[in-house]
Amino acid sequence: MENAGSAPRVLTAKAAGLVGCTQCGRVHAPGVALCSRCGAAISSRDGTSVQRVWAWLFAGLVVYIPANLYPMLRTTLLGKTTDSTIFGGVVDLIHHGSYGVATIVFVASIVIPVSKFIAIAYLALSVERKVSLSAHRRHVLYEVVEFIGRWSMIDVFVVAILSSLVQLDFAAQINPGIAAVSFALSVAFTMVSAQSFDSRLIWDADGE
Amino acid sequence: MSDPRPAEMEIEGPKRSVWRNLSLVWLVPFAALAVTLFIAWQSWAERGTRIEIRFENAAGVVPDETAIRYRDVSVGFVEDVEFSSDLASVLVHARIDNTVAGSLPADAQFWVVRPEVSASGISGLSTVLSGVYIEAAFEPQTGAGATAFEGLNETPLVKPGMKGTRIVLRASDGTMLTAGAPIFHQGIEVGRIETPRLLDSGKGVIVDAFIDAPNDRRITTATRFWDTSGFDVNVGPSGINLSVGSVAALIRGGIAFDTVFSGGSPVPSRYVFDLFGDEASARDSVFSESIDNAVDLVVEFDESVRGLEAGSPVTYRGLKVGSVMALGAFIEEVQGQQRVKLRASISIDPRALGLSPDAPQAQTIAFLAEAVQNGLRARLAAEGLFSQALMVELAEIPDAAPAALGIFDTEAPVIPSVASDLPDVAATAEGLFQRIDNLPVEELMDQAIATLASIENLAGDENLRSAPGAFTALLDDARGLIGGEAAQALPGELTAAVSELRGIAEDLRRADMVGKLVETLESASAATDTVSAVADAFSEATGEVPDLISDLRGLTAKANEMELDAFIEKATALLDSADRLIDSDAARGLPGSLSEMLDEARAALAELREGGVVESTNATLASARDAAAAIEEAAQSLPRLSTRIERLVAEAETALQGYGANSSFNRETVAALRDVREAAAALTKLARAIERNPNSLLFGR
Repeated sequence: MENAGSAPRVLTAKAAGLVGCTQCGRVHAPGVALCSRCGAAISSRDGTSVQRVWAWLFAGLVVYIPANLYPMLRTTLLGKTTDSTIFGGVVDLIHHGSYGVATIVFVASIVIPVSKFIAIAYLALSVERKVSLSAHRRHVLYEVVEFIGRWSMIDVFVVAILSSLVQLDFAAQINPGIAAVSFALSVAFTMVSAQSFDSRLIWDADGE
Repeated sequence: MSDPRPAEMEIEGPKRSVWRNLSLVWLVPFAALAVTLFIAWQSWAERGTRIEIRFENAAGVVPDETAIRYRDVSVGFVEDVEFSSDLASVLVHARIDNTVAGSLPADAQFWVVRPEVSASGISGLSTVLSGVYIEAAFEPQTGAGATAFEGLNETPLVKPGMKGTRIVLRASDGTMLTAGAPIFHQGIEVGRIETPRLLDSGKGVIVDAFIDAPNDRRITTATRFWDTSGFDVNVGPSGINLSVGSVAALIRGGIAFDTVFSGGSPVPSRYVFDLFGDEASARDSVFSESIDNAVDLVVEFDESVRGLEAGSPVTYRGLKVGSVMALGAFIEEVQGQQRVKLRASISIDPRALGLSPDAPQAQTIAFLAEAVQNGLRARLAAEGLFSQALMVELAEIPDAAPAALGIFDTEAPVIPSVASDLPDVAATAEGLFQRIDNLPVEELMDQAIATLASIENLAGDENLRSAPGAFTALLDDARGLIGGEAAQALPGELTAAVSELRGIAEDLRRADMVGKLVETLESASAATDTVSAVADAFSEATGEVPDLISDLRGLTAKANEMELDAFIEKATALLDSADRLIDSDAARGLPGSLSEMLDEARAALAELREGGVVESTNATLASARDAAAAIEEAAQSLPRLSTRIERLVAEAETALQGYGANSSFNRETVAALRDVREAAAALTKLARAIERNPNSLLFGR
């Protein structure tokens, strides 16, 4: 190989005149509608991908606002009802000295979702514009976003478990607030948004 | 192997417009946006109306946590708490549900419910754990929608919207009135009072009270309220009357009411009632003030009306028929002389006289006029045995001077009065004791004691014991004496005296029998017993004197005729009999019976004094009357007794004078006889005193 020393130029399936399956990775000749191996619908590039990414991202952002403004947990302790929002809960935890838990909640409920919004928006933008980050790195970023997205649900799980466990009538009672639903929707929407992204588009721009 | 073909030409159509290219996915964010906006709008719309409540302090009120409750249902939450601009009060801002806020009238009451422990119970216990809340009470008015309110410092006793009647009570002082004190009717709590407050004039207290429906229809113009708090002790002719309300009423005070006469009309709200100190005065207050057709009369008195006052009862045969309305004096000119007369205005309730409740005044006056013709008079009377208070008594006096109801055009009719015979009980009782003390009974006893002392002296005289020493002289005298004829006659006289003494003793014994009839006079009779016993002893002793004298005589005779040894023998016999006299039971029993008699006399006096208590006097008065008769009977024999004693003493004296000796035996015998005579005189005095007025022993008059 004469050019083994230089960085190899990635040859995309499209550039090779083929169509790759996004599910199993098998390449087909152009014109094939269904993957001969796994039966998934195949296309060279999904034209509506970016559009769908933006749509879901936008939906996720919309529901993320009430998720932060409305109470996440409604705690009734000895007849005294306390509403706590996500950020209010973090502040309360810090006040109580539970820095570890506060950090977990803060990262899972605020840092990760916000980062996800930013990352997905960046990736979607990078398809149409030239960005400084290399395609390889952007692909890694995409993998990370897709992997970590589900972990944002940890907050929703906490609320769900607490609500079902702590039902001690007058003594103590915890109920989910409207923010729990909003937050769950927000996480779901951003996950769908990430799923909608056609990662092959990263390489198309790189190839030009 | 063929050459790699060039990639197929990718042919794209004309670029579709942006709108044609839109994916359906875009519906999702817009739907999310719509839902979010809807939720935001809804919570905005449902957050309620902001109201402002002004409190003096906001103890325990926490923003976002303290709820506003109406009928124990949460209708909102406190949003924030801040000071008024002048820092004089606290403004609590709260959000109230729109369903409620629209009906809030401006006079809605808000107060902070805190845990509270009082005599009537514990309230607000739930707020210990959950924190305070603000309770609202109001009468909903659709469309009122007030937003600024004055908060109350404490729980109002009467909340708006409660059904019942609000009244006002007027009292002279508020000592027993505490806020929240219950109002009872027939022992059932039917309402409560609020905080008492001073009248503007400062002379009295008024307090708002609230009677719950449906019991508020018991409140009419005929209703009277009185204080039931604390203890109520009445000491009256009927004894001691102690009434205690419920324990709660004891601590908090309480008020009771009752309808005291029929025919009251319903009262409007805020009707003012007087609060009376006790039930009796509340009920008494009804007289004349509530009777439309009460008849006013005037009574004129010449005597002092001290003890009579406005409100004093007017009674007829012991039944209260009215009350004294006013007292006054006026000057009457009688035959050119000005005299002050006292005039009492009285009011008579025709119903109490048995007339129809709506009898016209003229009918009542006519009835009274006829009664006056038949002897009805007014006079003053004491209200009770020991009471200084007077009342006006309408009495039928059969032999009253004829008079008529003085009917004048301008003034109330004048009912004629007669002088009262007010018994001064205290003075009478005192006088009774004094007169008992003054009775010659004590004198008599003194005399008896002196007599007995003399007799004792006589008996115990050493000269008598050492008679032999003085005998030579005595014998000399006796010789001369016995030689005389008078001495010869002495024995017969002595015998007569003794038999008379026995008769006295018999009489005394009879008197004793009479005395035993009456229990009250039992001790007196015991004293009489002792007197008779003394007399017996005396007569017994006297009975032996003749023996002694006859021995003396025999001794003297023998001394004249016989030898010395015979004389000595006789002298010994004389001494023996003298010893017998001294040792005789009667003589020995004298001091004992003396002290016995004294004890009994003392007991009799003590009993008389103790017996002076009115009750037992009353109880014994009946039997005393019988006793008086018996005493009279007994007393009749007393003069006879004393005459006899006197005669006896005279005879004895005469007899003893015959001895003509200066010996102490003679002197003391004479002294003893003198005492006996004095005793007899005292007896006579007593007999006369009793004869003059047999009741004096009992009544001291």
